[in-house]
Amino acid sequence: MMRRTLTILVALWLVGLYAGQARAQTPEAMQKVLTAATKNLIEIDLAYRGDRIHFFGVHPVPNTDLVVKLTAEKSETIKLSVKGKVGPFWMAVKQYEVTGAPFIYKIHSQNPLSEIISTATAQELELGYPSIRHHMKMHLLRGEASPDDQDTLFNGLIKLKEKLNLYNIVEDPQRLQVTEGKLFKHYFQFPPAATEGQYLVESFCFEKGELVGYGKDVIEIKKVGIENWLTSTSQNSPLFFGILAVIVAIVAGLGVGMIFKKGGH
Amino acid sequence: MEIYLPIAGMSINFFLVIGIGAMVGFLSGLFGVGGGFLLTPLMMMIGIPAPVAAASDSNQIVAAASSAAYAHWRLGNVDFKMGIIILSGGVAGGTIGVQLVKYLRGIGNFEFVMKVVYVLMLGLIGGAMFIESLRTIRRSQRQVATPAVEGVPTPKHGTLFSKMPLKMDFHRSGLKNTSAIFPFLIGMAVGILAALLGVGGGFIMVPAMIYVIGMPTIVAIGTDLFQIVLSCANVTLQQAWVNKTVDLLLALILLFGSTIGAQFGAMASKRLKGEQIRILLAIIVLAMAVKLFVDLVVEPSLLVSIDPGKGGH
Repeated sequence: MMRRTLTILVALWLVGLYAGQARAQTPEAMQKVLTAATKNLIEIDLAYRGDRIHFFGVHPVPNTDLVVKLTAEKSETIKLSVKGKVGPFWMAVKQYEVTGAPFIYKIHSQNPLSEIISTATAQELELGYPSIRHHMKMHLLRGEASPDDQDTLFNGLIKLKEKLNLYNIVEDPQRLQVTEGKLFKHYFQFPPAATEGQYLVESFCFEKGELVGYGKDVIEIKKVGIENWLTSTSQNSPLFFGILAVIVAIVAGLGVGMIFKKGGH
Repeated sequence: MEIYLPIAGMSINFFLVIGIGAMVGFLSGLFGVGGGFLLTPLMMMIGIPAPVAAASDSNQIVAAASSAAYAHWRLGNVDFKMGIIILSGGVAGGTIGVQLVKYLRGIGNFEFVMKVVYVLMLGLIGGAMFIESLRTIRRSQRQVATPAVEGVPTPKHGTLFSKMPLKMDFHRSGLKNTSAIFPFLIGMAVGILAALLGVGGGFIMVPAMIYVIGMPTIVAIGTDLFQIVLSCANVTLQQAWVNKTVDLLLALILLFGSTIGAQFGAMASKRLKGEQIRILLAIIVLAMAVKLFVDLVVEPSLLVSIDPGKGGH
């Protein structure tokens, strides 16, 4: 009797373990969403003004919902100031340290995210602004905290990032076109504010709210030529860069003065 | 045509930057002013981050002032003894100023403090210029009977400086027994402003040299240019070192624009009546002061801003 009960318990535990594993399955273990990008490297040169990359892909499960997300691979800690009115003036009155806010965050989907997936899934896969907020941690550095700070900071950050075209969410079939329920194409605009680093484009495929397919592309942005040299020198050898800036200025100033005979001052 | 500025981290229309440089250069050539106090706010208005605008402007001033300083040195218009005393104050002030910029950026209020100081400064300069040119215009209208007595400046150092220690002679300026304390202090004050605002400070320094210290005008201009080159070189170096905000590319584009503009300005100044158009400069300066003041009091569209610091983007 005891032995049979124990066997059943062990069997149930094993089944439970298996089910748990299935639920904790990572997106990578899903069916692959095959994608191709027009390029995987963006080079910042003198004439750089942002760039656009087109993506093409194949649904592993036809006629399912598709969501594409662009984020930066690096995670960063940022300092955010909140302006307030002091007398007649608007100035920074408090400052927070914020972690978990992505540097870039763009989402394309054919239908509103809320119609495609549950809140829990959205949070787990970090899809949608509410999920960013869920992962963001704020820590007051300066000033007095007030109850609406979380809202002010979050909404302010979204507005700021959207203005720089670093954040946006487009839930529009025109923006993410699907042909015969299987082939899809879309593009991401990388704004000039998107700096050097690795960027991740993830394609999620949902069937009735369940993740059934996943694919990812890595895009790299790097500075080349004079842009790369100026940036790395100014960041890595700032003293040398300072001396160089002064010497270049004096030489250029004297040179230009000689050309025009009379100084341009 | 867009150009990507590596330190400002943005792409901007090349001709817009050249155009602003040329416009400010034109005004410099026309009125014989440096123009840094116009250039930095204009850079901010087209979206260059305030700290980058100020630091790159200091870099541009080194270039713009160097050839004029060299010319004055060749003509013997530089009082090196006075210049070095002012410069030592300027280097001290510039160093303090750069640290102040670092601190203010860290707490997220650099732009605010900078704009407040600009409003005060542009308001005072613009106001004084406006009143002065109005007077000149009225005087020239009434004129004839009594030509305006252009008073030779009477420096007040006779009473004030005789009580200060560290007296010395400045042969080139024809000054005897003059205290070095005031030149050092004014150098320091202008040095702080230079770092905070991205200006050369000639509009404060030259009048102080002429009216307070009592230097001859031409020596004051030559000596000021000499100290501006080295004082702004110090600010540029320290901004690059401490704040990493010097955009050499931006500075060179501005130099190119302002040099060309200055040539036309200098040509125009020979044809136009200085007193009459000086009021135009006063109006431009006052308009900028008003614009910056409005920025300070109107609710900004973005209440949240990202400050430099950890992970810095």
